[in-house]
Amino acid sequence: MKKQLSALIDGEVEIDDSEHVITAMKSNEKVKDAWKHYHLIGDAIRGDAEMQPDFSEKVLQALEAEPTVLAINKQAQSTPASKRTMKTPVFWSVAASVAAVMFVGLMVFELELGGQEELAPVEIAKSLPIEYLQAHQSLAPSGSSYYIQSASFTEPQQ
Amino acid sequence: MFRLGLALVLFATSYCVLAADDTSETQQTLDAWQVLEKSAYAARELNYEGQFIYVNGEQSRTVEITHMNHGGREVARNVVLDANQREVYSKGNDIVIFQPTNKNVIIKKRRGKNLFPAMLPTDLSIIKANYSAELAGTEFVANREAQIVELMPVDAYRYRYKVWTDVKFGLILKMTLLNEGNNTLEQIYFNKISMLNSQNPNWFEPKIDISKQYVTEKNGPVTEVDNNWQVTNLPAGYQKINHIQRHVRGKNTMVDQMVFSDGIASVSVFIEPLAKGQRPKKGHMLMGSTNMCANVIEGHQVIVVGEVPEMTVQTIAKAVSLKK
Repeated sequence: MKKQLSALIDGEVEIDDSEHVITAMKSNEKVKDAWKHYHLIGDAIRGDAEMQPDFSEKVLQALEAEPTVLAINKQAQSTPASKRTMKTPVFWSVAASVAAVMFVGLMVFELELGGQEELAPVEIAKSLPIEYLQAHQSLAPSGSSYYIQSASFTEPQQ
Repeated sequence: MFRLGLALVLFATSYCVLAADDTSETQQTLDAWQVLEKSAYAARELNYEGQFIYVNGEQSRTVEITHMNHGGREVARNVVLDANQREVYSKGNDIVIFQPTNKNVIIKKRRGKNLFPAMLPTDLSIIKANYSAELAGTEFVANREAQIVELMPVDAYRYRYKVWTDVKFGLILKMTLLNEGNNTLEQIYFNKISMLNSQNPNWFEPKIDISKQYVTEKNGPVTEVDNNWQVTNLPAGYQKINHIQRHVRGKNTMVDQMVFSDGIASVSVFIEPLAKGQRPKKGHMLMGSTNMCANVIEGHQVIVVGEVPEMTVQTIAKAVSLKK
Protein backbone atom coordinates (compact mmCIF):
# COMPACT_ATOMS: atom_id res chain seq x y z
CA MET A 1 0.00 0.00 0.00
CA LYS A 2 2.79 2.40 0.92
CA LYS A 3 4.53 1.72 -2.38
CA GLN A 4 1.36 2.44 -4.29
CA LEU A 5 0.69 5.66 -2.39
CA SER A 6 4.27 6.64 -3.02
CA ALA A 7 3.94 5.96 -6.74
CA LEU A 8 0.68 7.91 -6.81
CA ILE A 9 2.32 10.93 -5.22
CA ASP A 10 5.37 10.68 -7.48
CA GLY A 11 3.15 10.72 -10.53
CA GLU A 12 4.42 7.31 -11.61
CA VAL A 13 0.84 6.10 -11.58
CA GLU A 14 -2.10 8.04 -12.94
CA ILE A 15 -4.82 8.72 -10.38
CA ASP A 16 -7.31 6.84 -12.52
CA ASP A 17 -5.17 3.72 -12.26
CA SER A 18 -4.47 4.04 -8.58
CA GLU A 19 -8.17 4.44 -7.98
CA HIS A 20 -8.51 0.81 -8.99
CA VAL A 21 -5.61 -0.11 -6.77
CA ILE A 22 -7.45 1.27 -3.80
CA THR A 23 -10.87 -0.03 -4.75
CA ALA A 24 -9.41 -3.45 -5.48
CA MET A 25 -8.59 -3.67 -1.81
CA LYS A 26 -12.25 -3.92 -1.05
CA SER A 27 -13.85 -6.54 -3.26
CA ASN A 28 -17.21 -6.04 -1.64
CA GLU A 29 -20.26 -6.88 -3.78
CA LYS A 30 -22.48 -4.27 -2.11
CA VAL A 31 -19.93 -1.57 -2.78
CA LYS A 32 -19.73 -2.66 -6.42
CA ASP A 33 -23.48 -2.25 -6.82
CA ALA A 34 -23.38 1.17 -5.21
CA TRP A 35 -20.48 2.11 -7.51
CA LYS A 36 -22.62 1.44 -10.58
CA HIS A 37 -25.43 3.58 -9.22
CA TYR A 38 -23.06 6.45 -8.55
CA HIS A 39 -21.70 6.28 -12.05
CA LEU A 40 -25.14 6.38 -13.61
CA ILE A 41 -26.16 9.39 -11.57
CA GLY A 42 -22.74 11.02 -11.94
CA ASP A 43 -22.74 10.67 -15.73
CA ALA A 44 -26.20 12.21 -16.00
CA ILE A 45 -25.34 15.11 -13.71
CA ARG A 46 -22.12 15.82 -15.57
CA GLY A 47 -24.20 16.28 -18.72
CA ASP A 48 -26.15 18.95 -16.86
CA ALA A 49 -23.01 20.67 -15.63
CA GLU A 50 -21.62 21.02 -19.14
CA MET A 51 -24.79 22.80 -20.35
CA GLN A 52 -23.87 22.22 -23.97
CA PRO A 53 -26.41 22.98 -26.71
CA ASP A 54 -27.01 19.29 -27.32
CA PHE A 55 -27.37 18.60 -23.64
CA SER A 56 -31.00 17.48 -23.73
CA GLU A 57 -29.93 14.94 -26.32
CA LYS A 58 -27.30 13.76 -23.88
CA VAL A 59 -29.98 13.31 -21.23
CA LEU A 60 -31.91 11.10 -23.60
CA GLN A 61 -28.76 9.18 -24.41
CA ALA A 62 -28.01 8.77 -20.73
CA LEU A 63 -31.50 7.49 -20.12
CA GLU A 64 -31.24 5.10 -23.04
CA ALA A 65 -27.87 3.92 -21.83
CA GLU A 66 -29.20 2.78 -18.50
CA PRO A 67 -30.86 -0.51 -19.45
CA THR A 68 -27.64 -1.38 -21.30
CA VAL A 69 -25.67 -1.01 -18.11
CA LEU A 70 -28.10 -3.38 -16.44
CA ALA A 71 -27.70 -5.85 -19.28
CA ILE A 72 -23.92 -6.08 -18.94
CA ASN A 73 -24.28 -6.74 -15.25
CA LYS A 74 -23.60 -10.47 -15.32
CA GLN A 75 -24.67 -10.89 -11.76
CA ALA A 76 -28.04 -9.37 -12.51
CA GLN A 77 -28.48 -11.64 -15.51
CA SER A 78 -27.74 -14.72 -13.51
CA THR A 79 -30.09 -13.81 -10.66
CA PRO A 80 -33.66 -15.15 -10.72
CA ALA A 81 -36.28 -13.12 -12.58
CA SER A 82 -38.02 -12.10 -9.37
CA LYS A 83 -34.86 -10.43 -8.05
CA ARG A 84 -34.28 -8.63 -11.34
CA THR A 85 -37.74 -7.07 -11.38
CA MET A 86 -37.10 -5.83 -7.88
CA LYS A 87 -33.96 -4.07 -9.04
CA THR A 88 -35.31 -2.43 -12.18
CA PRO A 89 -37.70 0.07 -10.54
CA VAL A 90 -34.83 1.39 -8.47
CA PHE A 91 -32.93 2.29 -11.62
CA TRP A 92 -35.94 3.88 -13.28
CA SER A 93 -36.83 5.96 -10.26
CA VAL A 94 -33.25 7.22 -10.16
CA ALA A 95 -33.43 8.04 -13.87
CA ALA A 96 -36.78 9.75 -13.48
CA SER A 97 -35.63 11.98 -10.65
CA VAL A 98 -32.47 12.97 -12.50
CA ALA A 99 -34.54 13.82 -15.57
CA ALA A 100 -36.92 15.92 -13.45
CA VAL A 101 -34.05 17.90 -11.94
CA MET A 102 -32.64 18.56 -15.39
CA PHE A 103 -35.99 19.65 -16.74
CA VAL A 104 -36.39 22.21 -13.97
CA GLY A 105 -32.80 23.29 -14.57
CA LEU A 106 -33.44 23.81 -18.26
CA MET A 107 -36.57 25.88 -17.58
CA VAL A 108 -34.74 28.15 -15.17
CA PHE A 109 -31.90 28.53 -17.64
CA GLU A 110 -34.24 29.54 -20.46
CA LEU A 111 -36.21 31.95 -18.27
CA GLU A 112 -32.97 33.73 -17.43
CA LEU A 113 -32.01 33.92 -21.10
CA GLY A 114 -35.37 35.57 -21.85
CA GLY A 115 -34.59 38.44 -19.47
CA GLN A 116 -33.03 41.82 -20.19
CA GLU A 117 -29.87 41.94 -22.23
CA GLU A 118 -27.90 44.25 -19.95
CA LEU A 119 -28.26 43.55 -16.27
CA ALA A 120 -27.26 45.94 -13.53
CA PRO A 121 -24.14 44.80 -11.68
CA VAL A 122 -24.58 43.25 -8.25
CA GLU A 123 -22.30 44.08 -5.32
CA ILE A 124 -19.80 41.28 -4.73
CA ALA A 125 -20.58 41.32 -0.99
CA LYS A 126 -24.22 40.50 -1.75
CA SER A 127 -23.38 37.66 -4.09
CA LEU A 128 -20.18 36.19 -2.76
CA PRO A 129 -18.28 34.12 -5.33
CA ILE A 130 -17.13 31.50 -2.81
CA GLU A 131 -16.06 29.24 -5.68
CA TYR A 132 -13.29 31.72 -6.51
CA LEU A 133 -12.09 31.87 -2.93
CA GLN A 134 -11.80 28.10 -3.04
CA ALA A 135 -10.04 28.15 -6.41
CA HIS A 136 -7.54 30.70 -5.08
CA GLN A 137 -6.83 28.68 -1.97
CA SER A 138 -6.28 25.49 -3.94
CA LEU A 139 -3.50 27.07 -6.01
CA ALA A 140 -2.02 29.90 -3.94
CA PRO A 141 1.61 29.18 -3.16
CA SER A 142 1.62 29.99 0.53
CA GLY A 143 -0.04 27.11 2.17
CA SER A 144 -1.77 28.12 5.37
CA SER A 145 -5.05 29.21 3.85
CA TYR A 146 -5.24 25.81 2.23
CA TYR A 147 -6.34 24.24 5.51
CA ILE A 148 -9.29 26.52 5.98
CA GLN A 149 -11.23 25.02 3.08
CA SER A 150 -14.35 23.61 4.60
CA ALA A 151 -16.10 20.56 3.29
CA SER A 152 -18.78 22.65 1.62
CA PHE A 153 -16.17 24.68 -0.27
CA THR A 154 -14.37 21.67 -1.61
CA GLU A 155 -17.27 19.34 -2.32
CA PRO A 156 -17.23 18.79 -6.06
CA GLN A 157 -20.40 18.25 -8.04
CA GLN A 158 -21.38 14.65 -7.58
CA MET B 1 22.88 -0.72 38.39
CA PHE B 2 21.57 -1.98 35.09
CA ARG B 3 18.85 0.69 35.21
CA LEU B 4 21.34 3.42 35.82
CA GLY B 5 23.47 2.15 32.92
CA LEU B 6 20.45 2.18 30.59
CA ALA B 7 19.51 5.66 31.72
CA LEU B 8 23.05 6.85 30.99
CA VAL B 9 22.95 5.28 27.52
CA LEU B 10 19.58 6.86 26.77
CA PHE B 11 20.82 10.21 28.00
CA ALA B 12 23.95 9.97 25.90
CA THR B 13 21.94 8.97 22.81
CA SER B 14 19.43 11.77 23.13
CA TYR B 15 22.20 14.24 23.80
CA CYS B 16 24.01 13.16 20.64
CA VAL B 17 20.85 13.45 18.56
CA LEU B 18 20.11 16.92 19.88
CA ALA B 19 23.71 17.98 19.41
CA ALA B 20 23.70 16.69 15.84
CA ASP B 21 20.52 18.60 15.01
CA ASP B 22 21.79 21.81 16.53
CA THR B 23 23.89 24.01 14.30
CA SER B 24 27.33 25.16 15.37
CA GLU B 25 26.25 28.79 15.06
CA THR B 26 24.45 30.22 18.03
CA GLN B 27 21.24 32.20 17.58
CA GLN B 28 22.75 35.41 18.91
CA THR B 29 25.22 35.68 16.05
CA LEU B 30 22.51 35.46 13.37
CA ASP B 31 20.83 38.53 11.96
CA ALA B 32 17.08 38.58 11.21
CA TRP B 33 17.46 37.32 7.64
CA GLN B 34 19.78 34.52 8.73
CA VAL B 35 17.23 33.45 11.35
CA LEU B 36 14.56 33.28 8.63
CA GLU B 37 16.86 31.40 6.27
CA LYS B 38 17.65 28.87 8.99
CA SER B 39 13.91 28.42 9.60
CA ALA B 40 13.30 27.75 5.90
CA TYR B 41 15.93 24.98 5.87
CA ALA B 42 14.88 23.58 9.27
CA ALA B 43 11.28 23.09 8.13
CA ARG B 44 12.48 21.04 5.15
CA GLU B 45 15.41 19.13 6.63
CA LEU B 46 14.32 18.14 10.13
CA ASN B 47 12.13 15.23 11.22
CA TYR B 48 9.29 16.36 13.45
CA GLU B 49 5.72 15.79 14.47
CA GLY B 50 3.26 18.09 16.14
CA GLN B 51 -0.08 19.79 16.07
CA PHE B 52 -0.77 23.28 14.83
CA ILE B 53 -3.77 25.57 14.74
CA TYR B 54 -4.63 27.87 11.87
CA VAL B 55 -6.97 30.81 12.50
CA ASN B 56 -8.37 33.09 9.79
CA GLY B 57 -11.22 35.43 10.70
CA GLU B 58 -13.79 33.36 12.58
CA GLN B 59 -12.61 30.07 11.15
CA SER B 60 -9.99 27.81 12.66
CA ARG B 61 -8.56 24.39 11.92
CA THR B 62 -6.38 22.01 13.90
CA VAL B 63 -3.85 20.05 11.87
CA GLU B 64 -1.60 17.15 12.87
CA ILE B 65 1.70 17.09 11.02
CA THR B 66 4.40 14.45 10.63
CA HIS B 67 7.40 15.47 8.53
CA MET B 68 10.51 13.54 7.55
CA ASN B 69 13.42 14.07 5.26
CA HIS B 70 14.64 10.83 3.70
CA GLY B 71 17.97 11.48 2.05
CA GLY B 72 16.95 14.89 0.73
CA ARG B 73 13.39 13.89 -0.14
CA GLU B 74 10.66 15.42 1.99
CA VAL B 75 7.63 13.37 2.95
CA ALA B 76 4.83 14.72 5.12
CA ARG B 77 1.36 13.89 6.31
CA ASN B 78 -1.09 16.56 7.44
CA VAL B 79 -4.36 15.44 8.99
CA VAL B 80 -6.97 18.19 9.24
CA LEU B 81 -8.90 17.43 12.42
CA ASP B 82 -12.38 18.81 11.85
CA ALA B 83 -15.73 17.06 11.51
CA ASN B 84 -14.77 16.10 7.98
CA GLN B 85 -11.27 14.83 8.71
CA ARG B 86 -9.03 14.77 5.65
CA GLU B 87 -5.51 13.56 5.07
CA VAL B 88 -2.95 15.40 2.99
CA TYR B 89 0.13 13.46 1.88
CA SER B 90 3.03 15.20 0.26
CA LYS B 91 6.31 14.17 -1.27
CA GLY B 92 8.37 17.13 -2.43
CA ASN B 93 5.91 19.48 -4.16
CA ASP B 94 3.44 16.72 -5.05
CA ILE B 95 0.39 16.54 -2.83
CA VAL B 96 -2.39 13.96 -2.67
CA ILE B 97 -5.48 14.74 -0.60
CA PHE B 98 -7.95 12.15 0.65
CA GLN B 99 -11.17 14.07 1.25
CA PRO B 100 -14.11 12.10 2.65
CA THR B 101 -17.67 13.05 1.72
CA ASN B 102 -20.86 11.31 2.86
CA LYS B 103 -20.46 8.34 0.54
CA ASN B 104 -17.09 8.70 -1.15
CA VAL B 105 -13.50 9.55 -0.47
CA ILE B 106 -12.31 11.95 -3.16
CA ILE B 107 -8.67 11.73 -4.22
CA LYS B 108 -7.27 15.10 -5.26
CA LYS B 109 -3.86 15.72 -6.69
CA ARG B 110 -2.15 19.09 -6.28
CA ARG B 111 1.18 20.80 -6.63
CA GLY B 112 2.20 22.97 -3.75
CA LYS B 113 5.00 24.32 -1.71
CA ASN B 114 5.61 26.51 1.31
CA LEU B 115 3.12 24.62 3.44
CA PHE B 116 3.45 25.44 7.15
CA PRO B 117 5.96 25.40 8.81
CA ALA B 118 7.93 25.70 5.55
CA MET B 119 6.20 29.03 4.88
CA LEU B 120 9.31 30.77 3.64
CA PRO B 121 11.30 29.83 0.54
CA THR B 122 14.98 28.98 1.10
CA ASP B 123 15.87 31.71 -1.39
CA LEU B 124 14.74 34.88 0.37
CA SER B 125 15.89 37.35 -2.32
CA ILE B 126 12.36 38.21 -3.58
CA ILE B 127 11.12 38.71 -0.01
CA LYS B 128 14.16 40.86 0.78
CA ALA B 129 13.18 43.24 -2.04
CA ASN B 130 9.69 43.74 -0.58
CA TYR B 131 10.13 43.54 3.20
CA SER B 132 12.66 44.53 5.83
CA ALA B 133 13.40 42.10 8.69
CA GLU B 134 14.06 42.91 12.35
CA LEU B 135 14.73 40.81 15.43
CA ALA B 136 12.04 41.53 18.05
CA GLY B 137 12.86 39.66 21.25
CA THR B 138 12.01 36.15 22.42
CA GLU B 139 8.87 34.40 23.66
CA PHE B 140 7.75 30.86 24.47
CA VAL B 141 5.55 29.01 21.97
CA ALA B 142 4.49 25.38 22.54
CA ASN B 143 6.87 25.27 25.55
CA ARG B 144 9.83 26.18 23.37
CA GLU B 145 11.86 29.36 23.35
CA ALA B 146 11.30 31.31 20.16
CA GLN B 147 13.11 34.18 18.48
CA ILE B 148 10.66 36.72 17.04
CA VAL B 149 11.36 38.27 13.63
CA GLU B 150 9.19 41.00 12.14
CA LEU B 151 8.83 41.32 8.38
CA MET B 152 7.91 44.93 7.66
CA PRO B 153 6.50 45.74 4.20
CA VAL B 154 8.34 48.37 2.17
CA ASP B 155 5.00 49.83 0.93
CA ALA B 156 1.21 49.62 1.50
CA TYR B 157 0.70 46.84 -1.08
CA ARG B 158 1.36 44.08 1.46
CA TYR B 159 0.72 43.18 5.08
CA ARG B 160 3.18 42.77 7.94
CA TYR B 161 4.29 39.34 9.15
CA LYS B 162 5.57 38.29 12.55
CA VAL B 163 7.47 35.01 12.77
CA TRP B 164 8.45 33.02 15.89
CA THR B 165 11.33 30.59 15.23
CA ASP B 166 12.64 27.89 17.55
CA VAL B 167 15.87 29.17 19.14
CA LYS B 168 17.41 25.69 19.09
CA PHE B 169 16.13 24.03 15.90
CA GLY B 170 15.17 27.06 13.82
CA LEU B 171 11.71 25.72 12.95
CA ILE B 172 8.88 28.27 12.61
CA LEU B 173 6.64 27.78 15.66
CA LYS B 174 4.21 30.59 14.98
CA MET B 175 3.38 33.15 12.33
CA THR B 176 0.90 36.01 12.27
CA LEU B 177 -0.34 38.31 9.54
CA LEU B 178 -1.07 41.89 10.65
CA ASN B 179 -2.71 44.78 8.85
CA GLU B 180 -1.68 48.43 8.94
CA GLY B 181 -3.82 48.93 12.08
CA ASN B 182 -1.81 46.21 13.85
CA ASN B 183 -4.81 43.83 13.92
CA THR B 184 -4.05 40.12 13.58
CA LEU B 185 -5.76 38.85 10.42
CA GLU B 186 -4.41 35.35 10.32
CA GLN B 187 -2.31 33.20 12.62
CA ILE B 188 -0.86 29.76 12.61
CA TYR B 189 0.98 28.20 15.56
CA PHE B 190 2.14 24.91 17.01
CA ASN B 191 0.56 23.91 20.29
CA LYS B 192 2.83 20.88 20.50
CA ILE B 193 5.94 19.94 18.59
CA SER B 194 8.64 17.33 18.99
CA MET B 195 11.62 16.16 16.99
CA LEU B 196 11.56 12.58 15.70
CA ASN B 197 14.57 10.35 16.16
CA SER B 198 13.07 7.48 14.20
CA GLN B 199 13.27 7.13 10.43
CA ASN B 200 10.45 4.61 10.38
CA PRO B 201 7.96 5.68 7.68
CA ASN B 202 5.10 3.43 8.84
CA TRP B 203 2.82 6.44 9.26
CA PHE B 204 3.03 7.26 5.56
CA GLU B 205 -0.13 5.48 4.39
CA PRO B 206 -3.75 6.57 4.32
CA LYS B 207 -6.38 5.10 6.59
CA ILE B 208 -8.66 3.22 4.21
CA ASP B 209 -12.37 3.48 4.99
CA ILE B 210 -13.79 0.33 3.40
CA SER B 211 -17.37 1.58 3.70
CA LYS B 212 -16.61 4.29 1.13
CA GLN B 213 -15.84 4.37 -2.55
CA TYR B 214 -12.57 6.03 -3.59
CA VAL B 215 -13.06 8.30 -6.57
CA THR B 216 -10.82 10.72 -8.41
CA GLU B 217 -11.69 14.41 -8.24
CA LYS B 218 -13.54 15.55 -11.32
CA ASN B 219 -12.30 18.52 -13.29
CA GLY B 220 -8.99 18.30 -11.49
CA PRO B 221 -6.38 18.79 -14.22
CA VAL B 222 -5.55 22.29 -15.30
CA THR B 223 -3.67 23.51 -18.34
CA GLU B 224 -1.00 26.18 -18.39
CA VAL B 225 -1.72 28.85 -20.96
CA ASP B 226 -0.18 31.98 -22.37
CA ASN B 227 -2.93 33.99 -24.07
CA ASN B 228 -3.72 37.65 -24.55
CA TRP B 229 -4.86 38.40 -21.02
CA GLN B 230 -2.35 40.49 -19.12
CA VAL B 231 -2.01 42.60 -16.00
CA THR B 232 -0.08 45.76 -16.73
CA ASN B 233 1.08 48.15 -13.99
CA LEU B 234 1.22 45.51 -11.27
CA PRO B 235 1.87 46.80 -7.75
CA ALA B 236 5.66 46.87 -7.22
CA GLY B 237 7.28 43.60 -6.22
CA TYR B 238 4.55 41.26 -7.49
CA GLN B 239 5.52 38.75 -10.16
CA LYS B 240 3.37 36.41 -12.22
CA ILE B 241 4.15 32.86 -11.13
CA ASN B 242 1.37 30.98 -12.90
CA HIS B 243 -1.27 31.34 -15.64
CA ILE B 244 -3.65 28.45 -16.13
CA GLN B 245 -7.09 27.62 -17.46
CA ARG B 246 -9.17 25.59 -15.07
CA HIS B 247 -12.60 24.43 -14.07
CA VAL B 248 -14.26 26.44 -11.33
CA ARG B 249 -17.22 24.95 -9.52
CA GLY B 250 -20.52 26.00 -11.06
CA LYS B 251 -18.96 27.52 -14.21
CA ASN B 252 -19.77 26.16 -17.64
CA THR B 253 -16.69 27.58 -19.36
CA MET B 254 -13.01 27.31 -18.52
CA VAL B 255 -11.77 30.17 -16.36
CA ASP B 256 -8.35 31.87 -16.64
CA GLN B 257 -6.41 32.07 -13.37
CA MET B 258 -3.21 34.07 -12.99
CA VAL B 259 -1.28 33.93 -9.71
CA PHE B 260 1.00 36.75 -8.59
CA SER B 261 3.35 36.67 -5.60
CA ASP B 262 5.76 38.98 -3.80
CA GLY B 263 7.65 36.01 -2.36
CA ILE B 264 5.27 35.41 0.53
CA ALA B 265 1.82 36.89 -0.20
CA SER B 266 -0.17 35.72 -3.21
CA VAL B 267 -3.01 37.09 -5.35
CA SER B 268 -5.19 35.22 -7.86
CA VAL B 269 -6.84 36.90 -10.84
CA PHE B 270 -9.82 35.05 -12.39
CA ILE B 271 -11.20 35.97 -15.81
CA GLU B 272 -14.46 34.47 -17.05
CA PRO B 273 -16.58 35.45 -20.10
CA LEU B 274 -19.89 36.99 -18.98
CA ALA B 275 -22.72 34.84 -20.30
CA LYS B 276 -25.93 36.40 -21.62
CA GLY B 277 -28.19 37.08 -18.69
CA GLN B 278 -25.41 36.70 -16.12
CA ARG B 279 -25.46 39.59 -13.67
CA PRO B 280 -21.94 40.99 -13.43
CA LYS B 281 -20.37 41.41 -9.99
CA LYS B 282 -18.64 44.60 -8.92
CA GLY B 283 -17.16 46.04 -5.75
CA HIS B 284 -15.02 44.76 -2.90
CA MET B 285 -15.27 42.65 0.22
CA LEU B 286 -13.06 41.43 3.07
CA MET B 287 -13.24 37.99 4.68
CA GLY B 288 -10.71 37.30 7.44
CA SER B 289 -7.38 38.06 5.80
CA THR B 290 -8.71 37.68 2.27
CA ASN B 291 -9.63 40.67 0.14
CA MET B 292 -11.81 40.11 -2.90
CA CYS B 293 -12.58 42.56 -5.65
CA ALA B 294 -14.74 42.28 -8.79
CA ASN B 295 -14.62 44.25 -12.04
CA VAL B 296 -15.91 43.92 -15.60
CA ILE B 297 -13.38 44.25 -18.44
CA GLU B 298 -14.05 43.64 -22.16
CA GLY B 299 -17.23 41.69 -21.45
CA HIS B 300 -15.47 39.48 -18.92
CA GLN B 301 -15.97 39.11 -15.20
CA VAL B 302 -12.67 39.75 -13.41
CA ILE B 303 -12.36 38.56 -9.79
CA VAL B 304 -9.19 39.28 -7.77
CA VAL B 305 -8.57 37.35 -4.53
CA GLY B 306 -5.64 37.52 -2.14
CA GLU B 307 -4.36 37.67 1.43
CA VAL B 308 -3.18 41.23 0.73
CA PRO B 309 -4.49 44.77 1.47
CA GLU B 310 -7.57 46.08 -0.34
CA MET B 311 -5.44 48.53 -2.32
CA THR B 312 -3.52 45.64 -3.90
CA VAL B 313 -6.61 43.75 -5.16
CA GLN B 314 -8.24 47.03 -6.31
CA THR B 315 -5.12 48.05 -8.26
CA ILE B 316 -4.79 44.64 -9.91
CA ALA B 317 -8.53 44.44 -10.75
CA LYS B 318 -8.21 47.67 -12.75
CA ALA B 319 -4.97 46.64 -14.45
CA VAL B 320 -6.31 43.61 -16.34
CA SER B 321 -6.43 44.04 -20.12
CA LEU B 322 -6.39 42.16 -23.42
CA LYS B 323 -3.22 42.47 -25.48
CA LYS B 324 -4.23 43.91 -28.85
